[in-house]
Amino acid sequence: MSVATLDNLSIHYETPLRTVTAVDQVSLVVEPGQCLGLVGESGSGKSTIGLALQGLLTKDTTARATGHLTVGDRVLSPTDNSSWEGIRGSKVTTVFQDPMTSLDPTMTIGHMLGRVTRSSQDSLRWLEEVEIRSPRTVLKAYPHQLSGGMRQRVMIALALARRPALLIADEPTTALDVGVQAQILKLLTRERDSLGCGVLFITHDLGVARAMCDDIAVMRNGRVIERGTSDRIFDAPSEPYTQRLIASRLTLNVERAIPLGMPESSVIASMGEALRERGLDADSVTERWERRELTWTEFAPPTSVAQTPALTLRGVSKAFRSGSMFGAKKQVLNDVDLIVAHGQSVALVGESGSGKSTILRIAAGLERADAGEVSVAGSIGSGVQVVFQDAGISLTPWLTVSQLLMERLANAPQTRHLDQAAHTASARLALERVALDPSVLSARASQLSGGQKQRVAIARAIVVPPTVLLCDEPTSALDVSVASIVLNLLNLLRHELGMSILFVTHDLAAARIIADRVDIISNGRIIESVPAEDIRAVESEYGRRLLDAVLA
Amino acid sequence: MLFLRELTPAEDTALVPATPRPRRHFTIGEAIALFTLGGLIVLAIVGPLIAWYSPIVPSGVPFLPPGSSGHLLGTDNLGFDIGTRVVFGLRISLFAAVTVTVISAIAGMILGTIAAFVGGWLDSVLMRVTDLFLAFPATIVAMAIAASLGASLSSSMIGIAVVWWPMYARLTRGEVRRVINSPHVEAARMSGTRGVRLLVKHVLPSVVPTVLVTASLDVGAVVLTLASLSFIGLGTPAPAPELGLMASAGMQYILSAWWIAVVPGVAIALVALAFNYVGDGLRTVLRAKGF
Repeated sequence: MSVATLDNLSIHYETPLRTVTAVDQVSLVVEPGQCLGLVGESGSGKSTIGLALQGLLTKDTTARATGHLTVGDRVLSPTDNSSWEGIRGSKVTTVFQDPMTSLDPTMTIGHMLGRVTRSSQDSLRWLEEVEIRSPRTVLKAYPHQLSGGMRQRVMIALALARRPALLIADEPTTALDVGVQAQILKLLTRERDSLGCGVLFITHDLGVARAMCDDIAVMRNGRVIERGTSDRIFDAPSEPYTQRLIASRLTLNVERAIPLGMPESSVIASMGEALRERGLDADSVTERWERRELTWTEFAPPTSVAQTPALTLRGVSKAFRSGSMFGAKKQVLNDVDLIVAHGQSVALVGESGSGKSTILRIAAGLERADAGEVSVAGSIGSGVQVVFQDAGISLTPWLTVSQLLMERLANAPQTRHLDQAAHTASARLALERVALDPSVLSARASQLSGGQKQRVAIARAIVVPPTVLLCDEPTSALDVSVASIVLNLLNLLRHELGMSILFVTHDLAAARIIADRVDIISNGRIIESVPAEDIRAVESEYGRRLLDAVLA
Repeated sequence: MLFLRELTPAEDTALVPATPRPRRHFTIGEAIALFTLGGLIVLAIVGPLIAWYSPIVPSGVPFLPPGSSGHLLGTDNLGFDIGTRVVFGLRISLFAAVTVTVISAIAGMILGTIAAFVGGWLDSVLMRVTDLFLAFPATIVAMAIAASLGASLSSSMIGIAVVWWPMYARLTRGEVRRVINSPHVEAARMSGTRGVRLLVKHVLPSVVPTVLVTASLDVGAVVLTLASLSFIGLGTPAPAPELGLMASAGMQYILSAWWIAVVPGVAIALVALAFNYVGDGLRTVLRAKGF
């Protein structure tokens, strides 16, 4: 018998203005011992299904549901609280994305586990089960004393100790470093096999879904548009949307010299413009992209750029004081040397806490190095520009796109003396370059989607082309299809404008697309430097770990 | 339009469906408070023009209860018309309270912003001075200042303003320090905006609403403090129609002629309450709008 079924389930939210359909006639079955992957981009309705199956929609007075939902032999209503007694938190348990917010900060791990297992012996056994080293110490620890990976293991122990029939894993590895991610997935698979529970695995990451799941359901706009075994979905996707998702996925096998994924109309417009400006043939861009004949080098200016350093960091060190005024200093950067040549693109890859973002902030002048020197070739003011990780909060919320771009133009020494009309023309050109319609000029950040915000942030950075563009994980907060647009645009701009790029990321696959050279950083030191085309040739152990973590 | 794309059905709510949408409008209670406040302000402005009694000339028999013909809210122990005096008193109280609040808010904001933006020793000096003021009980200091300047409306206003600004300095400093480290200010720095322009364009627009809300909540408190200073004889001297003074003078007749103290008292309460409700509503609405 199946552990959970959804039969023609629809979920609407009643808002004052209109009724929003989050889930539209979805039917799914999870069998015991099976892992079903629910894959979709943000807003596809996958998380709403997760909430409905946990009985958490009952708190939301705006939710209306039709259709049936069963867990085991119980028929449940997603919106009626009384029916979930004895199901929620016992037959169905969950591993959430962020264990820090779902573990009680006032309780020790032992206390939390003890409430489920009723004996410290069993608690200890569960911690051993999820492969926590020194479980006796962890029992006495509070959540904030553990690392992200450890917390997620505790979360899994808590979810499994109730011996659920259905385990819901809602993006359980998204917040974790790549190395830890692989271990957690392995653990989840092993536990599912030993307990025989069904798993509903909710994720936006196709690679993770393939590694984890037997079957995959692809969701879009509240509907399941395609379902099948993982291998079938990957090898022979039938829906164009699924094909696009798979095509825009980054692996180490993706061709670097040509645009990513399938032709994207918005990027094509910018490409055509770039070629036309140079008097080249711009009409066949779509066909040539499709035939994989369009290469990035076509967009480069005919004159080659000199291989002189554009950005130089020499012997840079930095320590931060941790915690209170008297806390010990933590060395974040140790004698780092880094050179980015004119027109070159370098990726700095490492896990969180490796110091990669600090290098970028020092290069940007947002942070001062304790020792060492930083120099940027070219005139000051246009030297470096930054694209931040979260574009949403890097755009001043009460200013319009036009005001943000104009501000940059009015400040930069190259454009300061120009008149209003020239500024407006430059702003429009910059938006065109990042494939945005000029109508966004009057919009504020809150009116734009995530991908649009990131493109506005890029437009602001390149409206006066900088010598070096510093990118701080600009795609990690974006959906895959949007991320590939941003990566394509960065590559296009880089060739078109002849900029250097310093690209900070934790993702080797993304680094390989953008960069000519990949520098691997660990514990504040650059430990290895490899050409992007030979990324598989990394030698350091740490580099190999990062490589393995790119689930291909 | 291309950019203002309709959110896909799920996108709108799917991320946090269990959280109700933030309220973007005043509740009915807050709307009523807003109308009451508006009415009181209009009354304070036009009331004296249309009043047919003088506030400082007896106009009838003393101790007439409310509802007497010609004296809707009654007369006091000297035969003054209480309604007329309350209207004049509102004018004085509202004017004084708003002036004191605006002056202390602006002074506090300027000092707090300078402290947060310049930092270093200037920050330390400004904040220690602020702490010094905050260390004394506000009303006592205001009383002392008002008393030393001699009982008058302006001396009680000065007294209150002197103890009121440090709160705004603290509040503003904290807010500026919070906003100045946020990514959008860093991004603005990267695009070359510095100094006062950075403050005015990228920092203060998010600080001002907070101060505005606090100030609107404070006007009520200032009205009460002004009234209490007059009540103990440190504000406007009699027979000026000041609400606190009227309540104070009426206290000795509270058992025989309750309305002499209660009517101005209710007016004080109404003003304070209305400002509080409106400030609360303002806070909710501004927060929902992303400030």
